[in-house]
Amino acid sequence: MGALGHFLERQGIPTAGISLVREHTETIRPPRALWVTFELGRPLGIPDDADFQRRVLRAAAALLERTDGPLIADYPEDVAEEADFTGWACPINLAPTSVDTLAAEIERLATWHDRAVAASGRTTTGVSGLDMPAAGHLLVQALEGELPPAQALKEAVDDLRAYYLEAASAFPDAGTPAMRKAWLWDETLFGKALLAVQPRLVASTDPQHRILGNLTLIPATERYRLTKG
Amino acid sequence: MVKRLSDMPEVEASHLRRIECPTYEDTPALAGKPLRERRIVLISTAGLHKRGDRAFRPGDGSYRVIPAETPARDLVMSHISVNFDRTGFQQDHNVVFPIDRLRELVAEGVVGSMASVHYSFMGAFPPAAAEPHAQHLAGLLKQDGVDAALLVPV
Repeated sequence: MGALGHFLERQGIPTAGISLVREHTETIRPPRALWVTFELGRPLGIPDDADFQRRVLRAAAALLERTDGPLIADYPEDVAEEADFTGWACPINLAPTSVDTLAAEIERLATWHDRAVAASGRTTTGVSGLDMPAAGHLLVQALEGELPPAQALKEAVDDLRAYYLEAASAFPDAGTPAMRKAWLWDETLFGKALLAVQPRLVASTDPQHRILGNLTLIPATERYRLTKG
Repeated sequence: MVKRLSDMPEVEASHLRRIECPTYEDTPALAGKPLRERRIVLISTAGLHKRGDRAFRPGDGSYRVIPAETPARDLVMSHISVNFDRTGFQQDHNVVFPIDRLRELVAEGVVGSMASVHYSFMGAFPPAAAEPHAQHLAGLLKQDGVDAALLVPV
């Protein structure tokens, strides 16, 4: 965020930033920016590629010695597109049936999430302070009963999203991150629950519920699903 | 590979176009010591914090403190936006918060040293909400002997 470059440099701290959206940086004009062409969410480019990341960070740091700002330097390396395995299907049959529940789906994924945590040594869940069954319960409550406070629901939903995607990364044929995100929306009861709760949030009298429903629940790229009946 | 907004899928590009960017008078880029002598802080806007710290909320312009020795398994992300990839962070925190890479640049002698404490804002802040926090932070950075900040978005 280029505004921080202005704020800190004016207080005497030289800054250099990575830019993911060149048009934004061209408007904000921070003192020094390294523009990269990487996917939003991956400012250093490639997970688990220390050499690549180090080259990006070194290029950003090198800008600190320049005083001809505001400047935007173009980082020369790109990240290749992921191969598209059209027709990939989730190898784990989550077997939604007419009597299936979100709680059962969450439970079925637990062993895969355990496997993911064992492999990476960490999880990024844990913002809400709830365990996953409790987070799922809060979402069910939002669907069937009174809406919980927006912040509590947001934190529970973001924890569940991390849980599902981390669990799916441990499937035997895990596919790419893009495939796993598509799986979440196409094939899980969790994805369906998010789409189902959105209209309830938008119709709430609480402005925080409306912010969640309109902006911070469903990614822009998935909102087309809301118009499906 | 993402080039310009005009190269992106329209649904993503239009979301990004709608984000209002502030404008400022140009801020002069300050001169400083050679890089190999500087003490550098990482400042993320990914909404990162230690598990158990206060989550970020809409409109939140404050920052969270991430000590340099924080284990990766303690880091979580509560950015309010759902319009960026999180699987990279789930796989490797350094793709968002390159603390180990900075440590390596120090070891190689490319930069002098790293701050004892690093920071994260949540980038969807209204700039006016973040400015007083950033001004306060600048004072803390000077106390830590920091000569420069690397700003990492998400």
